[in-house]
Amino acid sequence: MLTASAGDILVSLAMKQVGEVTHFSPRALLRAGSRVARIPLFWIGLSLLTFSFYSFLALLSWAPVSFVVPATALGYVVGTLSARFILHEKLGAARLIGVLLACAGVAAVSADQIGWQLTPHMLMMILRWFVMVVACVPFMYYLTCVHAARRFFALHRRIGPVSRDFTPPVSILKPVRGFDREAYENYSSFCRLDYPEYEIVFVAHDESDTAIPVIRKVMADFPDCNIRLLIGAEDLGTNNKVNKMIRLVREARHDLFALSDSDVRVDPDYLRYVVEPFRDPRVGAVTCLFRGMHDGSLASQLDCLGAAVEFCGGALISNEFEGTQFAHGATMATTKQTLEKIGGFEPLVDHHADDFEFGNRIYALGLRVELARKPVWMVYGPETLGQYLRHELRWDIGLRHIRPGGHFGLLFTQGLPFAVLGAAIAPSYPISAAYLFAYFFLRFLDAWTVGVWGLRDPVVRRKFWLLPVRDFFAFPIWLASFFTNRIQWRGVEFTIREGRMTPVVRPVADRG
Amino acid sequence: MSLRRKTYILLAARVVFNACGDVTLGRGMKQIGPVSIASPSLIGHALLQIISSGTVWMGIAFLLAFFICHLLLYSWADYSFVMPTSAANFVVVPLLVLLLFNEPISFTRWVGIVIIFLGVTLVGMTQPVTRKAA
Repeated sequence: MLTASAGDILVSLAMKQVGEVTHFSPRALLRAGSRVARIPLFWIGLSLLTFSFYSFLALLSWAPVSFVVPATALGYVVGTLSARFILHEKLGAARLIGVLLACAGVAAVSADQIGWQLTPHMLMMILRWFVMVVACVPFMYYLTCVHAARRFFALHRRIGPVSRDFTPPVSILKPVRGFDREAYENYSSFCRLDYPEYEIVFVAHDESDTAIPVIRKVMADFPDCNIRLLIGAEDLGTNNKVNKMIRLVREARHDLFALSDSDVRVDPDYLRYVVEPFRDPRVGAVTCLFRGMHDGSLASQLDCLGAAVEFCGGALISNEFEGTQFAHGATMATTKQTLEKIGGFEPLVDHHADDFEFGNRIYALGLRVELARKPVWMVYGPETLGQYLRHELRWDIGLRHIRPGGHFGLLFTQGLPFAVLGAAIAPSYPISAAYLFAYFFLRFLDAWTVGVWGLRDPVVRRKFWLLPVRDFFAFPIWLASFFTNRIQWRGVEFTIREGRMTPVVRPVADRG
Repeated sequence: MSLRRKTYILLAARVVFNACGDVTLGRGMKQIGPVSIASPSLIGHALLQIISSGTVWMGIAFLLAFFICHLLLYSWADYSFVMPTSAANFVVVPLLVLLLFNEPISFTRWVGIVIIFLGVTLVGMTQPVTRKAA
């Protein structure tokens, strides 16, 4: 088995030295053949393969078949481990699960060859235990969230108060569109910042934008604050928010800038926390976690819970295990030089998830994307349950296009359906009860650690018991997101293909 | 031709050649019957029977075609992409034997076939190349 894997790997390495064969004419094949014949690795690999074949035959003559045949299945595991650790191939979850399934299947075929027969009853038992084990995966996910949140917030609380001696001037950039709930409070929160030098630049859609009177009132109420209002942005692509961001960056007076969505509200120490990580030159961008403010409607409460527990929990896990590789519209801070290195915002004009792409491209430069130590507030407007479900669906579809693996992985964060499934097929009532209890206990522990202890979110503290309702809707929405590429965004319908939006009806999308 | 399409065509050819090779060679050897190694003359007789069997030669030709496809795939695709797909042989051979010779497939083997099919399909859906060629 070892010589077979080693031989196959050597042959594969020899073929990689030959390079990709692009033509399949007899002459091209002969040329590739003569090239590989000159590579010693190929002959060593071939000899090992031949040796493994004969040793397999020899083994069959003296070892019991029950030992030899299942070894074939193990060959897939050895081969996969070699690919990962010797050839440094990226396996990915899908390939790994595929190999394990192939391995299990070969084991079943081998079992048949040596006369072990599987009955339908045994198969049902195996399936039942398999599903019961898989149903525990979301519980592990919740515990991982708890671990990641504890590490993140404990570390950052140990650091102590935010430093006051690193205060480069900052441009706060606000693309706005239409009237958001409590817009005055949101905008004016940026005028009360405890920071020596900063400016605020708003860009509104056009002269008739209902956000303009609010911005003018803020400008009048805070005459000492350096605020500018720009109207309109060049129509470069379907994502109107990105069109505005391009103009804002051009107009910003300072090198360091912090962009945020129009519905974001901040505390006076916001900028200090956002700027702090830039002390380290390896940091390319800073983004923020967030907690929600709702208007009392059930939908906006579910939104707040989803933002704090689900989104921030997932963000903390990726921050802990692979480093943050994306940004969120709650804050996208970077310098003009770093933005130039990713080609500015111009390549993102048709992208749906501009914030994700922004962070991801900066990460790809080899720079770090940091989560600010303190979260901001997102003020959710009044919405119906239908609007909430559509917006969640839009988010899931967007994720499927930018991170298909991550989107599929959401399956294993669905604790409620898995707990119900586990409870339904459990062999006894106490085990069924244990599944349901584990779901409620671990989900609330997750909510408490991430939302209440970590983010200090008052909505999660008061409404954590609504989380199962949110989870109840999350699973069918996730399933539905596989079957459509159409999203509704501020009344306009778009089709998403590879993260880019194409309007179905009207030519321009509006956001922010 | 796109890399993915080229990979799928060669994978399909490789699976078919491998299965046909195994089935044909197996049939050829069964036609010859048990080989006795009791004396050199018996071995010689068996060898003569093998090299004069058209079915055996056809099996060898299939397996040679399989090995060429296997090598060609390795010239660009990941080892961890190509290697697990060889399990498809466990799916195709029994189905071929069922179709051609009407040999029944046991329940256990059906279960194995379905699981292998799912696994190989999942591997086949991943990117064939995840690292730069040496």
